[in-house]
Amino acid sequence: MMQPNLDLLIPAYVREFEPYIPSKPDAELKKLYRCDRLLRLNNNENPLGPPPGAQEVICKFSPPSGAVYPSGDSYYLRREIAAIHGIDPDQVLVGNGANEVITFVIKAFCEQGDNIITADKTFAVYEWVATFSGIEARVIPLVREGFDDRGMLRAIDHRTKILFVCNPNNPTGTYWSRKILTDFLDAVDGRQIVVIDEAYFEFVEAADYPDGIALIRQYPNVVVFRTFSKMYGLAALRIGYLAGNPDVVDMIRRTCVVYSVNAIAQEAARAALQDDTGHIRRTRELVAESKAFLCEELSKMGLPLIAGEGNYLIVRLPGSDTLAYRKLMREGVMIRPMTGFRYPDHIRVSLARLEAMEVFVGALKKILS
Amino acid sequence: MNTNSKRIVCLNLQALPAYLPIVTQTVASSAGVFGLGKADCLSLELAVEEIFQYLCNSACPGNELKIECLDGIYYTQATFRFSASGMNLRGLNIAPSVTFNYEGECDLSEMGLLLASRSVDHLHVTIEKGNLVSLSVVKEKTYPRISDDLPLPETSGEIRLETPDPERLKQFCLLVGNHYSEQERPSFFDHPGKVVDMVAGGDYQCLVAMNPRKAVVGGILYFSRTEKIVQCYGPYFFQTDQGTDTGAALLDACLSRIARGRALGLLSISGLPHGLEANFEPLGDLNHYRDDVTPIKRSLFYRHLHEDPGGEVWSHAGLLEYLERAYERLVLARDIRIIRDMSETRAGYSLFAADVNRERSEVTLRPLLPGADFSANVERHIRFLSEERFRNLFFELDLGVPWHAELIPVIIARGFKPEIVLPFAGQSDLVVFQYHDAAES
Repeated sequence: MMQPNLDLLIPAYVREFEPYIPSKPDAELKKLYRCDRLLRLNNNENPLGPPPGAQEVICKFSPPSGAVYPSGDSYYLRREIAAIHGIDPDQVLVGNGANEVITFVIKAFCEQGDNIITADKTFAVYEWVATFSGIEARVIPLVREGFDDRGMLRAIDHRTKILFVCNPNNPTGTYWSRKILTDFLDAVDGRQIVVIDEAYFEFVEAADYPDGIALIRQYPNVVVFRTFSKMYGLAALRIGYLAGNPDVVDMIRRTCVVYSVNAIAQEAARAALQDDTGHIRRTRELVAESKAFLCEELSKMGLPLIAGEGNYLIVRLPGSDTLAYRKLMREGVMIRPMTGFRYPDHIRVSLARLEAMEVFVGALKKILS
Repeated sequence: MNTNSKRIVCLNLQALPAYLPIVTQTVASSAGVFGLGKADCLSLELAVEEIFQYLCNSACPGNELKIECLDGIYYTQATFRFSASGMNLRGLNIAPSVTFNYEGECDLSEMGLLLASRSVDHLHVTIEKGNLVSLSVVKEKTYPRISDDLPLPETSGEIRLETPDPERLKQFCLLVGNHYSEQERPSFFDHPGKVVDMVAGGDYQCLVAMNPRKAVVGGILYFSRTEKIVQCYGPYFFQTDQGTDTGAALLDACLSRIARGRALGLLSISGLPHGLEANFEPLGDLNHYRDDVTPIKRSLFYRHLHEDPGGEVWSHAGLLEYLERAYERLVLARDIRIIRDMSETRAGYSLFAADVNRERSEVTLRPLLPGADFSANVERHIRFLSEERFRNLFFELDLGVPWHAELIPVIIARGFKPEIVLPFAGQSDLVVFQYHDAAES
């Protein structure tokens, strides 16, 4: 059989895109780096796991139910989300992680020749999905580690379809206040879709931090992303959602793949939202304690920090972050090197239990000594 | 005519001697239109004539050929593509199995590639997807050497980084020429017009740092050496008080530009300015031999751009110790697998690609096809290339390709020494071996 001519079959923007290679499973990494245990401080997971109710759902899932398709559009979960936010269930779309809803939105609004606007140092998936879909991604440099509202507005042209704002920003933890956000939305004036990615919403306690979903009524061009992977500890189940104006969501629904969210994820997410055991409070306390510890220790080491909102912070190292990654792996500690986020020589560390933070600090001291 | 950013003229024909005038005239005319000078056009034409005759008479007589003439702005490249199926690829070795007659003279018709390489700047042979052989010759334009002394730019104030216009790019080149030694900069910086064309052609990118009065105070030039490796020259800076900060800012900007692209690593082969060593990982040194003077030591530095996913590499037992030391020093997670000879039958003739760089008196050999004649083929290449006065011979083996490891004992026995492990530069890491003539070492 003749080999297909991939040069002819594949669009150049796909062919030239470098696929992201996720890290190998822990067992493989431990073997390769010859370490006995591996502390994952690279993905901003919640060390407490899911809330108790969600854990119960996972434990009680009946194996024979594995043969049955889940609700194709996460029927009950959308109702739960809608009830919490006082919106209609049809204003919500659930996806296989927030990454999938990013794809839905770009596919719904963009065609070749269009562009999206975001920041240069932010969550990479907006830029990736746009690029491998043949859409130009305009990345605006951060200003004082935060999204540059004016720079983004200046970059808009007649082919701009979506502006992505990561609030708070991953990896810097900076956020737009309600005033900055509404001024920005006023300036956009409904001409483009504004996506507010609130993956770390539940970690932010600042009084002036805005709730994007509450702005949808006033700004029908706003689409908000939330995830269950971070605060709710359901990263393994891959579930996230978007919320927006009914007409906007009705359009996005056309590019949405139904049945992509599994049954356990839907049920566990519902249970997580119904949690009344103080899961969010406990997590926030853990994050606050670890952040205080880490800030103090790293400052004592003379390392500059970028520590904002969210369950992570960034440390500037005196040398290559990717080399530090490899050296820390040998010590059994996995962090995120930031060159790929366009922060060379920086690493991002997830704020986990104090014991994990102590191990990280010890390992960092060792590799820098 | 392809009217993309790079202009290409294509010919589709058969490898028949009767077509020689079409081939040479097309290449010569194209090169002339692309701006190559008369003498350079003639050199390229000669090389193309040698190759075409060689293909017609020896390598693939009568076969379908595609010939592309590409305008690279600062060079013209002629590429021959043809199917490798059914042909004896042995003849594509730059040092083929030339037959000697009783008088000790060799058959010149078998020396097509070697003869072609004499009149051009570069010659490359590769096997592409679809079992296509790609044979390219490159002739660069001749540019004037310019070494004007420029005043040192003022040092105070905040710097700004940007892609330079041609005039600032030329200033940058002149300043590099003024302030950096030959060991620290490639020779093209002495030809600023060439660098402008290198950037205009899209092969190279440049960032310069400017002071508040828009004077160039530093810069970095970089290009994709392979799909996975970006190579940089610099960062260079021309101040003393803020120099390291300028260099660090240029390096950061370069890294930020390439960090989400295809490259896995950034390589520097021209040394690093003081203060930036911690941003790179030292790979080791290579010697650059010249005819009449002591060799220049080239230190190679590497900067990985992503997380190391780890992986397996293939080696021969004879290189195990070297690799273990290298990976330990580079902190790379590798599972080293040793190949074993179990007396299996080996047949056929091996083929080595030869990247010829006349200006640097340098040839880099890479195995393309395995064969039963490794030892003889290596020996032949060393002999021919030494006779051709190439002073710098390298062999690159890809540790991701198990059969490459079979060459390790062969090339070590013939005088090559492992010098550098270049992470992720091939299917896996590459080991660069350098030939050390017994008389020199």
